Amino acid sequence: MAPRILRRSRPLLARAGQALAVAFIVVVITFLLVRITPGDPARGILGTRATTDAVAALRAQLHLNEPLWQQFTDYFGALLHGDLGNSVITPGRSVWSVVSSSFPVTLSVIVLTTAIATLTGIPIGLWAALSRRRGVDVGVRTAVSVSLATPPFLFGLVLVFVFALTLGVLPAGGWPGSWPQNFSYILLPSVALAGFLTPLVVRTVRQAALDVNDEEFVEAALARGLQSRTIVARHVLPNSLLPVVTVLGLNFAGLLGGAVVVEAVFNLPGIGTQLVQAVQQRDYTVIQGIALMTALVVVAVNLVVDLLYAVIDPRTRRRS
Amino acid sequence: MGTANLEGPVPLSRRVGVPALRNVVGRSPALAVGAVLLGAIVLMAVVVPLLDPGAVDRLGTPLQAPSWAHPAGTDELGRDVFARIAAAGRIDLGIAVVGVGASFVIGTLLGTLAGLSARGWVDAIFMRVVDAFIAFPFTILVLVIVVVVGPSRTFGPIPAGLPATFIGLVATSWAWYARLARGQTLALRERDHVVASRLIGYSTLRIVRRQLAPSVVRVNAAYAVADATLFVIATASLAFLGAGVQPPTPEWGGIMFEGRSYLQNAWWITFLPGLTLALTGLSLSLITDALLSAKAAKR
Repeated sequence: MAPRILRRSRPLLARAGQALAVAFIVVVITFLLVRITPGDPARGILGTRATTDAVAALRAQLHLNEPLWQQFTDYFGALLHGDLGNSVITPGRSVWSVVSSSFPVTLSVIVLTTAIATLTGIPIGLWAALSRRRGVDVGVRTAVSVSLATPPFLFGLVLVFVFALTLGVLPAGGWPGSWPQNFSYILLPSVALAGFLTPLVVRTVRQAALDVNDEEFVEAALARGLQSRTIVARHVLPNSLLPVVTVLGLNFAGLLGGAVVVEAVFNLPGIGTQLVQAVQQRDYTVIQGIALMTALVVVAVNLVVDLLYAVIDPRTRRRS
Repeated sequence: MGTANLEGPVPLSRRVGVPALRNVVGRSPALAVGAVLLGAIVLMAVVVPLLDPGAVDRLGTPLQAPSWAHPAGTDELGRDVFARIAAAGRIDLGIAVVGVGASFVIGTLLGTLAGLSARGWVDAIFMRVVDAFIAFPFTILVLVIVVVVGPSRTFGPIPAGLPATFIGLVATSWAWYARLARGQTLALRERDHVVASRLIGYSTLRIVRRQLAPSVVRVNAAYAVADATLFVIATASLAFLGAGVQPPTPEWGGIMFEGRSYLQNAWWITFLPGLTLALTGLSLSLITDALLSAKAAKR
C-alpha cells in the first residue's frame, strides 16, 4: 500500500466515482423513457392494425409483463454483459451490431471536425487577440456570431449546393465504405460541423490570450527583452491551449447531436442516420441503445478530459 | 440629463423614448442591430399571415423564381414560399418563447430548491440527475422523447408534431437552468448579507424572494435568450429530420426538407427559410452578447 499515492489520487477517484453515478442514472433514464410511453409500447410499435396475438408476443419479447424493477435488473444485467437487446423491427438484428457498425462513421466525422476546428480556430483566435488593428478583432467576433447562428445542416446544404451541385468537385453524399476514398465523403460534413465548433474555439482562445496578456509573467518577459514572437510561443499559446481542451470536452455532446443532423444532409450511414431510421420505424430498442451509448461516450469523454487536465496542467496537480 | 426638473413631470417620451434609445444604440450597436433584426422577423411572422390568410396553402405555378408577385418564389406545389416562411415564423418563434419559458420556470425552481436544501445527499443526487440529462447529446435525447410522445400526436388545434417537439425540448433543456440556478443559490447563500438576514431571523421565503430570486432570475434570463437560439435551431432540425412539426404545417426546417430535393433548380425553397432561421439566431446571439458584456462591464 502506498498511502501517498492514494491521497494524491483521491480527487481523481472522486471524479471517476461521480462519472460512474452519472452513467448509472443515464441507464435509468434510457430505461424509463421507453416505459413511460403513453399507452402500450408494444401497440405503439406495431400500430393499431396489428393482431392481439402479435402485440402479446412483442410484450413477451420486451418483458413488459414483468414488474418494473425486474425489467430493470434484467436490462441492467444484460447491459453489463454488453447485450443491448435486439431490434424489434428487424428480427435477429442486435442493437450492438447497429451501433458498432455505424459509430465509426460518426466518429471519423467528429475527429476530422475537431482537427479542422483546432487547426483553424487557434490561429484565428490568437490573431484576433493579438492584432493591433481593431478591425480584425471586430471582424473575427462578427464572423463568430454569424457562424454560431447558422445551424450546421443549413451550412451543410450550402456546401452541397456550392461544392457538389455547382462546382462538382466533391460528392453530395453517400459512403464508399473504404479508406482513403471515404475521406472525400466526410470532408464536407466535417466542414459543416466545424462551422459550429470552430467559432467556439476561436472565442475561447481569443479570451484566454487576452487574459494571459495581462499576466505579470508576460510583463516580466517583455521587461527581459524577449521578442514578442517568443513570448507568444512560450507563454501565451500554451496557456491558451488549456481552455481549448475544456471547450472541446464540454461541446462533445453538442457535436454528436449536430452530427446526427449533418449525416442526414449527406446520407452518411452513421449513428444519426440509424437513429432517424429507427425513429421512423419506432424501433424502440435501437433508439434506446443509441441514446444510451452516445450518452455513455459523452460521460467517458468528459471524464478523460478532466483527468487529462490534471496531467497537462501542473497547477491542478499541486492543489489539495 | 440627471438634473432635477422643476417645471413639472418629465414627459414620458423624454424619459423612456428617444434619449433612452439613443443611449442603447450608443452603448451597444450590437444590441440595437439584434433588436431591430428580431423585431423585423417577429413583425413579418405576425403581420404577413394576417394580410392573406389563405396564401400558405394556395397552389399555383410550381418552382417559380423569386419575383414581385412571389418575393421568395414558389415551392414544388406552387405555394408562395414567403407566405410559408412568415407563417412558419409563428411556430418557430412561438415554440422558442413558450418552450424557453417553461424550461426557465421548471429548471430555476428545481435548481434553487436543490441549492437551498441543507441536506447534502438530496443535492448530490439531484445534481447527478442533472449531469445525466446534460450528458445526452441534445438532439438525440429530444428525438427519443419525440418518439415516446408520438411524433404525430395532436392536442386540439395544435398542429401535429408540435406537442412532441415542445415536450422533447423542455424535458431536455430544464437541466441547464437547474444547474445555473443551483450554482447561484449556493454562492449567494454564503454571502454576508444573506447570512445576516438568516441570523436576524428572516424566513427562508423572504430571503429567497428578496435576496436570491432577483440574482438567480437575472442570470438565468441572460441564458434564456441564448437558449432561444438553440430552441429555434432544434425545432428546425427536428422537422428537417422528419420528426418535428409535420407537413403541411409550415416550419422553417420542414420547408427546407421539402425544398432539399429541388436544391439544384430551386435554391430559394431551401435557402430562404434557412436564411430567416440564421438571421433569427444571429439577432438572438447579438442580444445575448450585449447583455453579457453589459453585465461584465457593471462588475
